[in-house]
Amino acid sequence: MLNVALAKGRLADSCADIFLKCGIRAEILKEETRKLVLETPDKKFRFFFVKPADVPTYVEYGIADIGIVGKDTLLEAGADLYEMLDLKFEKCRLCLAGFPEKKAALSSPHLRVATKYVNTAKKLFFSRGEDVEIIKLNGSIELAPLTGLADVIFDIVQSGGTLRANGLVVLEEVFDISARLVANKVSLKTKAAEVLPLIAEMKKYIEG
Amino acid sequence: MQYFKLPAGIRDILPAESEKLDAAEETLRKKFRAAGFSSVRTAGLEYYDTFANIKSSVEQNKMFKMTDKDGNLIVLRPDMTLACARIAATKLREGAAKLCYFSNIYDFSAGGNSDREVAQAGVEIFGEGGALSDAKAVAFAIDCLKSVGLKDFIVDIGHVGFYKGLLEGSGLSGAAAEEIRGYINAKDAVNTEIALKRHGASERAQAAILALPSLFGGAAVLDEAEKLTDNALALSSIEHLRRVYAHLKDLKAEKYVSFDLGTVKSLSYYSGMVFTGLAEGVGAPVLSGGRYDELCAQFGKDLSAVGFAIGLMRVLRALEAKEAEQC
Repeated sequence: MLNVALAKGRLADSCADIFLKCGIRAEILKEETRKLVLETPDKKFRFFFVKPADVPTYVEYGIADIGIVGKDTLLEAGADLYEMLDLKFEKCRLCLAGFPEKKAALSSPHLRVATKYVNTAKKLFFSRGEDVEIIKLNGSIELAPLTGLADVIFDIVQSGGTLRANGLVVLEEVFDISARLVANKVSLKTKAAEVLPLIAEMKKYIEG
Repeated sequence: MQYFKLPAGIRDILPAESEKLDAAEETLRKKFRAAGFSSVRTAGLEYYDTFANIKSSVEQNKMFKMTDKDGNLIVLRPDMTLACARIAATKLREGAAKLCYFSNIYDFSAGGNSDREVAQAGVEIFGEGGALSDAKAVAFAIDCLKSVGLKDFIVDIGHVGFYKGLLEGSGLSGAAAEEIRGYINAKDAVNTEIALKRHGASERAQAAILALPSLFGGAAVLDEAEKLTDNALALSSIEHLRRVYAHLKDLKAEKYVSFDLGTVKSLSYYSGMVFTGLAEGVGAPVLSGGRYDELCAQFGKDLSAVGFAIGLMRVLRALEAKEAEQC
């Protein structure tokens, strides 16, 4: 049996669609339930629902053999796992954003950056050789420049609606984000007979 | 009260578990002795410079550092292979040696699925080179994993020369190669491709390097790999693995073996074949090893060498997972 970690929420619905189209009996994922562990009727797959940020953890530890999670979460977690496939849905961008006049300030010393992607932001500015103050927030990141908590924000931007409504703009697009299929480094080899056909099937679906 | 607890990533092993650990160690001790290995106990503390000054050694952030009375920086033993290579090159008179050890190593930066104190059982064979020596090391590793009770495991073999060969003539700088290595190791084809384009690698090299993440599986991947390149080093690496595989067949060990040419470990002392033992039930390797023909020379004596270490706690976890499954 293959153990699959899925992020709760919107991503899980898209995953269910892909699985069904790949011939996996994942109808159970469509049902309204409060169960955290679901098995397909043929006992070939067991699904866990976890918070998105926990998907890399379950996969790294091998509790889940594979998982589906956004690239932003992967960048932030830095977990030791295999990234097998770009599923090309849930597309968005990790951006630096703020008031338009802050564009010039992006490389100023002691820029204050508000984000929930603390590790990714640290790595980004370290690679650019810039000292910044990173302010960890857990939600409503856009509020930080509005209230003067930070100069800019580093966050995912999908439609840009929230930014626009608050007078903010994208100052720089840094990473392209989409959902990725990840695999545990041991399971990929020890359960190759189960994992590889699934990956091939999903690949065909995405490219088809 | 808080001082009665332990630092993160470190733990006590209590009697019930210790007994199991002892049993596994005892089995391996017998195995190592019967195969002609002599045991060594290397120093627990060493000079930082021993590990920092040699090429391709332990990363600085992986070492527990302290200052000695005379102001010199010392570290908690970070790696057994380096310690054994230092001993073989500087303290043993004869060139050839077969050493084994049961020791803990310490990894300052470990987290997630890795502990910071790791109980290892391992062997290092000095003064032997070639495909047969590599195959014997792999076969012995398989034998050891079987002897401690593991059944569903594989030994996954790669070769550092293949990636090195692909890099030659690719036009990639050292820093770019290191960045791309990270992506390949994660089988991250998306970023591998982006980075190859950004750094302007030659087209043939791009195609070959981009294929690396999917070059794993049975011996057939060696045929696929061969078609990707004309580079002499890359091709000789494949040829070497073929010879190793042929010997493994003679040793009746091939059913435990798979290949992965996309295993390109971080800056390491490995110079040829590398291998990892993967068991069901633990998400991380239970065994890791390879050939390091250029390491001893850095300690002053040119010796070819191959070895491997078994992570004993992970072996126990794999055995427990198997038991739990059968219940």
